[in-house]
Amino acid sequence: MTSTATHGRARLLALLLVSPALLTVGLLFVYPLGFSLVTAFTGEQGGWTTANFVKAFDFYSNDIIFTVVIVVLSTILIGLGAIAIGGYLTLGEHPVAVAILKWLYRWPLFIPFIVAGQIMRTFLAKNGLMNNIFVSTGLLDPLQTTSLLDWRGIVITFVWKQTPFVALLVAGAMASLDRSTIEAARNLGAKRMRILFEIIVPQILPTIVIGLILSFVIMMSVLSVPLMINAQTPTMLTVDMAFRINAYGDYGVANALGFISYLMTGVVAWIYLRQGVRQGGAP
Amino acid sequence: MKRLSQITVGAMAGAAIGLTGMPAQAQTTLNVLTAGSQNMVDYVNDYLAPLFESQNPGVKVVVAGTGPGASGSQKILEKLDAQKKAGKEVWDVDVAVVHQQQAGQMREADLLGKFRDDIETGALVTRDTAKNALGVDVDGYVMPMFHSQTAIAYNSDLVSTPPASYDELIDWTKANPGQFGYNGIKNGMSGVSFVVGWMYAYSGEADVLAKGPYDPSLKDTWGGVLSDLKAFNENITFTPGNAGTLDMLNRGEIVMGPVWVDMFYTWQADGRIPPNLKLKLIGPGMPGQPMYYITPAKAENADLARKFIALATSPDVQAEGIVKRFNWYPGIDANFVQDSLEPADWNKLFADVSPEDLATKGKAFPIGPFFTDIREAYEQQVQN
Repeated sequence: MTSTATHGRARLLALLLVSPALLTVGLLFVYPLGFSLVTAFTGEQGGWTTANFVKAFDFYSNDIIFTVVIVVLSTILIGLGAIAIGGYLTLGEHPVAVAILKWLYRWPLFIPFIVAGQIMRTFLAKNGLMNNIFVSTGLLDPLQTTSLLDWRGIVITFVWKQTPFVALLVAGAMASLDRSTIEAARNLGAKRMRILFEIIVPQILPTIVIGLILSFVIMMSVLSVPLMINAQTPTMLTVDMAFRINAYGDYGVANALGFISYLMTGVVAWIYLRQGVRQGGAP
Repeated sequence: MKRLSQITVGAMAGAAIGLTGMPAQAQTTLNVLTAGSQNMVDYVNDYLAPLFESQNPGVKVVVAGTGPGASGSQKILEKLDAQKKAGKEVWDVDVAVVHQQQAGQMREADLLGKFRDDIETGALVTRDTAKNALGVDVDGYVMPMFHSQTAIAYNSDLVSTPPASYDELIDWTKANPGQFGYNGIKNGMSGVSFVVGWMYAYSGEADVLAKGPYDPSLKDTWGGVLSDLKAFNENITFTPGNAGTLDMLNRGEIVMGPVWVDMFYTWQADGRIPPNLKLKLIGPGMPGQPMYYITPAKAENADLARKFIALATSPDVQAEGIVKRFNWYPGIDANFVQDSLEPADWNKLFADVSPEDLATKGKAFPIGPFFTDIREAYEQQVQN
């Protein structure tokens, strides 16, 4: 009798302890998420409708495709860059070069996206810093310069900003590998490229995938970079969402676009969770 | 411990003296909210508030900015609306500066006090915008603070005779691809203004768009006009905003583009764009807009608010503050302002855009529902 009572009290206490966290998640995440999903399917006069989605595709189908292409392309380049940096840190033979790279590569991690956007805006413009350097060193004529402030600028900024993040994870995983396999391959005469892609990368593939998935989700949500760098059309979905709300107060279509973004990130989140299950339920 | 409590008592007494001492210096606080960029807050803080405080001892003007663009005015609207719905007898805003569309919405929601006939400067206003805010009758409830106008800026070293109309501009962009730049409709109002001017020029319904009545089927007739605009966009450069257009003009990346006249002159005075850039208001016309002074229906200091607006719209203040310092066109009739200004300051404002151009080619923005239709049609048919 008493033991059940104590047990019940302990359970109540446990619930009480968990409740602040649950409440925070519920109020600040589950409720707004549910609310925005419902709004996406609600018409102007109330009632269920898919009109918001029809309008979203009618107005922004190009932007949806553009967003997917930009983010996928950036993710691939980030993966290649991170493997290259991690690989050199692990296999590099020049200690000074390794030390300099180690010190340098993390810097973009500490720069917010909006600052990165502003930096790129002055760097990549037609008469910006980069082209001015090319012109003054005689590599380019002033007439040959072009502005990179379009989709290329977004990709460059994303890759510059997110590669260090993935490289940090990848370099850590590479450093914790058992070096005997690497040494064995070296003794047998394998070149560094071959060691990197046939011995190291397969062993740390789960880490790379997780780093890239997190980057994918972060890039999907960035508003400042496409807003500052890409004045062209098409543009990314975050810009369209902000515009629907700021210009028309139209939360319906904005939330429909948000729902489409959820679907895209949902696909990669599913891969992430599967990866976690395969590793023993610890994503 | 004893010493600590002595200090505490001393501090509390000091605080109490401070609290009772403050109202002796300023019995009344006038709360001013302003939408728009930082220059709007600066205008009130640095110029208008000190002037008003010196004329009214015991009054302290507290000003806060609510952010640029229509969303800044939207915040003021929502603040007043919330206080009305909460049933408050006294609202904590005395004077606000808002855009046209929101001023109309505030009038419709019965949030505004009627004051223009109570102040002597009310009679100095002649423009139609003092009575009509994008199709809503606001006669008596608003005072224009200033008018602003969009026009085409161009590099006079490279272009000796700028296009004088949209037709000529189209030909010019065909001959000079990529040299004209504007910021679309998502990155600031100078681009929106250019698109509205295009619709006024080619839709054949400029009067209906600007004055109503609203006809939801009208937008279905815009297909050809918008596909022409889409073709036009092939020959131009997109810029990243109102300031972005000026930046690209400054760097020589484009030689022509639509800008706000006041921003243009301010940047030129600051040396941020070169003196060889000039303005041309092209035909049949491009839109501009006023900002309004309003006072809420239940402002705490209603009389003081009227006094404040009267000062702000007096010919001297309009001359010194609006025209000379901030390069805006006056809110009240220009003839009353001209006398208070040196001819040089006056001529600077009309150096490129003459008063005749302004009268014939300075248009209003379309009424609210048409304005939304135009922007949405652009998104659907030009951008996608």
